[in-house]
Amino acid sequence: MDKQKWKHYWRVLSSNKLGLFGVSLLVIFLCIALFAPFIAPFDPTERVGSPFMKPNGVFLLGTNDIGQDIFSELLYGTRVSLLIGVIAALISIILGCLIGVIAGYFSGKVDSFLMRLVDLVLVIPFLPLMILLAAFIGPSFWNIVLVISLISWASPARVIRSQVLTLKTKGYVEAARSIGTGVGAILTRHILPGVIPIALSQFVLAASHSILIEASLSFLGLGDPFTKSWGTILYYAQARGAFITDAWIWWVLPPGLLITTLVISFAFTGYSLEEILNPRLRKEQ
Amino acid sequence: MGKFVAGKFLQYVIVIILMVTLNFLLPRVMPGNPLVFLAGEDVGFMSSAEKEAILEKHGLNDSIVQQYGTYLKNIFTGEFGFSYQQKRPIIELLKERLPWTILLSGLGLVLSTIIGVLFGTISAWKRGTKTDVNLLTMFMFLSAMPSFWVGMILVSVFSVQLGWLPVFGAESAWSNLKGMDRFIDIVKHLILPLTTLVLISVTSTFMIMRYSMLNVLGEDYIMIAKAKGVKEKVIRYKHAMRNALLPVATVFMLSLGFTLGGATVIETVFAYPGVGRLMFESVLSRDYPLIQATFLIITFSVVIANFLADLIYPFLDPKVGRHNG
Repeated sequence: MDKQKWKHYWRVLSSNKLGLFGVSLLVIFLCIALFAPFIAPFDPTERVGSPFMKPNGVFLLGTNDIGQDIFSELLYGTRVSLLIGVIAALISIILGCLIGVIAGYFSGKVDSFLMRLVDLVLVIPFLPLMILLAAFIGPSFWNIVLVISLISWASPARVIRSQVLTLKTKGYVEAARSIGTGVGAILTRHILPGVIPIALSQFVLAASHSILIEASLSFLGLGDPFTKSWGTILYYAQARGAFITDAWIWWVLPPGLLITTLVISFAFTGYSLEEILNPRLRKEQ
Repeated sequence: MGKFVAGKFLQYVIVIILMVTLNFLLPRVMPGNPLVFLAGEDVGFMSSAEKEAILEKHGLNDSIVQQYGTYLKNIFTGEFGFSYQQKRPIIELLKERLPWTILLSGLGLVLSTIIGVLFGTISAWKRGTKTDVNLLTMFMFLSAMPSFWVGMILVSVFSVQLGWLPVFGAESAWSNLKGMDRFIDIVKHLILPLTTLVLISVTSTFMIMRYSMLNVLGEDYIMIAKAKGVKEKVIRYKHAMRNALLPVATVFMLSLGFTLGGATVIETVFAYPGVGRLMFESVLSRDYPLIQATFLIITFSVVIANFLADLIYPFLDPKVGRHNG
C-alpha cells in the first residue's frame, strides 16, 4: 500500500472517535504489558504480605489468599491475556484465510466441502469442546492457544470466502487469468492483497473473542497454572470465596473490569477498521 | 423442503459421529496411560490383576475396530459408563442434572431473544439518535463482559451485600418445601443465574434485529404505509418487526450452542446443579469418563435443538419452502 492510502486511512481513523478510543486503549494495555516489571511494585509470584489484606498504602488492591500483591498480579496478567488473545487470533486468522481463499477461489466441490466443514464447526458448542480438549491435553499456555484457534477459524473463513468471491470477478483478476498467470501467482499477487484488509479487522475481532474465551477457560481451572492471567486470578478469587466477602471490591471487580476494557477496545478497533476499509459501509452511516 | 431437511439431518449426523469419534479417540491417543483416563488416578495403587480386569472390562485388549463398535453401541443405548469419582453410573447423574440445565438455558434463550428483539426494534426505529447510540454502546459493553464475572458481581451485590436472593444452588437444601413454596424457592434461586445468562447472550439478537429492521425500514411497503397515514406503532410492530424477525430465527439456532456453553460457566459460579456444573466438577476431579459424557450430552442437546429449529424454519419463511419444495 502506498503512502497516500495510509494518509487517507489515518484521516478517516482520526475522525472516527470510536476507533481512536479503541486504539488508544490498546496502546495503553500494550505499554502496561511491556513495562510490567517497571510499574509493578512487587513480584507477583512472591509472598510479600500476609494473606487476605485489605487495600492500603503499600498494597493498592490488597493481597490474595497466599499474601501476593493483587495489583502487581493484575499488571503482569495483562501480558498473559494480551499474548494469548493475539496469538490465538493470529493462528485462527491464518487458518481462516487459507480455507476461505481456497474455498472462494476454487469453488465447486472443494468449496462446498469446506463450507460444510465450517457449518459443522459452527454447530459444535465450542466452550464445552474446549473444556474437553483442555482437560485431556492438559493446561499450558500453548495448549490453550491451540484449543482456542482450532475452534475460532470458522467464522473468519466464511467472511474471507465471500470477499474472495467478489475479488475473483474483478477485471484485473480475470485479465491475469486470461494471459495465463499461474494460480499461485494470482492468489499471492492479486487475491491476497485484497483479502488482507478484511483479515485485519477479523483478526482484531477474533482477538477480542479469544481473550474472553481464555478468561472462561482459566476461570474453570484450565489455564496455565504457572502464568496467571486475569481469568486465573478470578479462579482463585472464586475458589477462596472472595466474592462472598468484602474482598469482592478489590479482588473480583478489577480483573473483570480489565477484561471488559481490553475486549471492548479490541472490538471498537475492529468495528472501526471494518468501517474504514469498507467504503460502502462508511457512506451508508 | 424435504431435501433441505434431509441435508441438514445428514449434517447433524456427521457432527454427532465426529464428536463421538473424538470422544472415543481422546483417551486412547493422548500421551499417558489410557487406564488413568478410564479409571482415574487411583490406577497407580492397583495390582496388575486389577489393572487387567479394567482393561478387560473396557475391552482395551480387543482390536481398535472392535473397541469402537462396542463404544458406539454403549453410547446409543445410554451406557455412558461409571463415574469413578462419584461412584455412580453416569447416566443417573445426567438424568438428575439435565432438567436444571434445560430450565436455565431454555428460559435464558427465550428471554434474551424477546429482549433483544424489542430493543433491536427500538434502536433501528430511532436510528442515529441518542437512544440508538446509547443502546448500541450498552449492548456492546454487555457482550464484552466475562459471563462468570457478571455472575460473581451479581452474587456479591444482590445476595451477599443486600441479602435479597440466595447465594447458590437451585433450591434450598434440606428444607422439604412442597408445592407453591418449593416453586417460589426455585424461582428465587433461578433469578440471578438467569439474569447473568440473559445479559451475556442478548447482544447477538439485538445486533441482528437492529440490522435486519434497518433493512426492512428501507423497503417500499413501509414508505407506502407511512404515506397512507398508518399509525406509527402499527407500522413499527406489525409491518416492520414481523418481517425483520426472520434472520433472528437463524441467530436463535446459532446461539443455542453459545447459550449452553455459557450456561456451563454460569452454573459453575452459582453452583447450579446442571450438566455444566457437572462438567466443571468432573474437570476438577479429573473424572475423564464424566467429562466426556457431559460433553456428549451438551453436544446432543445442541444438535437436536438445531434440527428442531430447522424443521420449524420453513414455516416461518415462505421463501425457504418454495425454493426447496
